Amino acid sequence: MVMDRWFLVASTLLALIGAGRGVLAVHQGKRSPWTVAWIFGAFLCQIGFLSVRGQLRAACPLNDPGEILAFLAWSLTLFYLLVGPAYRISLLGVFTAPVVVIFQGLALLPGVLTENPQRITGGNPWHETHSAMSVLAYGALALAAVAGVMFLVLDKQLKEHHLKSSLFRNLPPVRELLISLERLLWLGGFLLTIGIVAGFLMPHTASAWAHLIAALAVWIGYIALLTVKRVRGLTGRRLSLSAVLLFVLSLVVFAFV
Amino acid sequence: MELFCLGLNHRTAPVEVREKFAVGTTKLGEAAHEMVRLAEASEAVVISTCNRTEFYFAAENAEIAFQLIETRLAEKTQLNHDIALHFYRKSKFEAARHLCEVVCGLDSMMLGETEIFGQVKQAYGSALDAGATGVVLNKVFQRVFGIGKKVRSETSIQEGSTSVGNVAVDLAEKIFGHLKDSEVMILGAGEMSRITAQSLVSRGAKSIFVANRSFDRAQELAAEMGGSAVRFDDWQDVLKRVDVVISSTGAPHAIVMRADVEQARRARKYRPLFFIDIAVPRDIDPAVGEIEEVYLYDIDTLEQLAEEARSRRHLQIEECQRIIALELVKTNLPGM
Repeated sequence: MVMDRWFLVASTLLALIGAGRGVLAVHQGKRSPWTVAWIFGAFLCQIGFLSVRGQLRAACPLNDPGEILAFLAWSLTLFYLLVGPAYRISLLGVFTAPVVVIFQGLALLPGVLTENPQRITGGNPWHETHSAMSVLAYGALALAAVAGVMFLVLDKQLKEHHLKSSLFRNLPPVRELLISLERLLWLGGFLLTIGIVAGFLMPHTASAWAHLIAALAVWIGYIALLTVKRVRGLTGRRLSLSAVLLFVLSLVVFAFV
Repeated sequence: MELFCLGLNHRTAPVEVREKFAVGTTKLGEAAHEMVRLAEASEAVVISTCNRTEFYFAAENAEIAFQLIETRLAEKTQLNHDIALHFYRKSKFEAARHLCEVVCGLDSMMLGETEIFGQVKQAYGSALDAGATGVVLNKVFQRVFGIGKKVRSETSIQEGSTSVGNVAVDLAEKIFGHLKDSEVMILGAGEMSRITAQSLVSRGAKSIFVANRSFDRAQELAAEMGGSAVRFDDWQDVLKRVDVVISSTGAPHAIVMRADVEQARRARKYRPLFFIDIAVPRDIDPAVGEIEEVYLYDIDTLEQLAEEARSRRHLQIEECQRIIALELVKTNLPGM
């Protein structure tokens, strides 16, 4: 196995340990202060993977589904480490780590990550900006979806008066979750806008148009959600459900387009 | 040198007896000094709270010191009947274990309460400053504080709120986080709503609105809590801005209907809204709780949550006592 794969395997294992220990701590009714350390370790390995692949490609490593998934996991981890302190950091990590494991686990499946990545020649800066900004945006939007799931769990427990679980005790307050969720959506929306603009400026093939139209549809979905939230207001449940559904939908769209 | 304790608490003495032995927090050091003299002991610490007064001593002979102090306390307080009936005597290991239980809140009226830890620390600090402590009590108290911390961190003896008011405040914090940005409306100026609202204010609630059928009473309560009085007919307007509504009117039927809240939703931009209904019969139509952003808790639910917390704390007693015994045995304390 070559170096890049080793980095990705190590990162996935660290995230898996972080998730496992976090879930165990929550189950035992304790905080999990080490989750952030495991995820930080996973993050360093992700950087290792991306830098090796970047050197091999001589470009931003976003040229096969495996690289895109790994880059997405890196972006999600990055935003978790950046915004985590606004939440109770360990618990957001407990929710984030499994998503990182899933993305990277998929990337490690045979055939998903190109074995011998070819050097990219004649790369276009708009194309690279489009790819990098879009995947960064999806990192923020993925974390928004994670926060949305956390809200939905907390909301259900509060509504049904099930307040005994240690998970309930460890979840951050409703208002803080919703504020963080909305900020992540704005950040993701902003980065996605740059990605879309760069996408229109890059040279196009027929398949690129289909991809760009799908990206535009996703962008419209997020902007519509944010506009409705800002202008009319939206319940926490609808905002969270929309953030989760839009993210899942966008993944499904890009898997087929 | 022996460690011993003489004390009375809410279980052994009625308030009219306890108040005779109460010592103000500013006089604890002075009282400890006096106790050393009265008991002819080497060291003393006086702990005095609303539920207990306890004297901890280190002396050569505990039995003689017990008799001396009881006689002199009876003379001093001019209690005609035998005060020994109200006092408990504990010595050596038993005294140290009792002090641990006091510090951990196991001997408190509200099991597991945390305030007692600070009160004992203050009592010890006062005695230390007054020069009433020495090798025995210094070591015992410092070790007991360590054990107290261990018990509180390793068990859930202090977890969960055990009163309706505190459960409501904890829930408000779970929904809104810091309450400094939260506004509260009280419907009906009853005692329970006053207590709950005061708890919210003490945790930083931004402002309070009081709506009551008697506007004078609303003004009175609002003034008491630094809030604003609202005419009862105007509460729907205030609903558009507040985050928490505490209701305890004496109305024979529901006064907050689903339609009232539906009307305010748009203006509130669908922000979370927490209803605390502590009235019987209930003031808030249960259908209000079906609205997405509304969290509705009535008196039964709050009482049930408080009771569950009390039960959980009771289940922790044995574990706390096990840790205390284990830690005391491990330590070679003087005066045992």
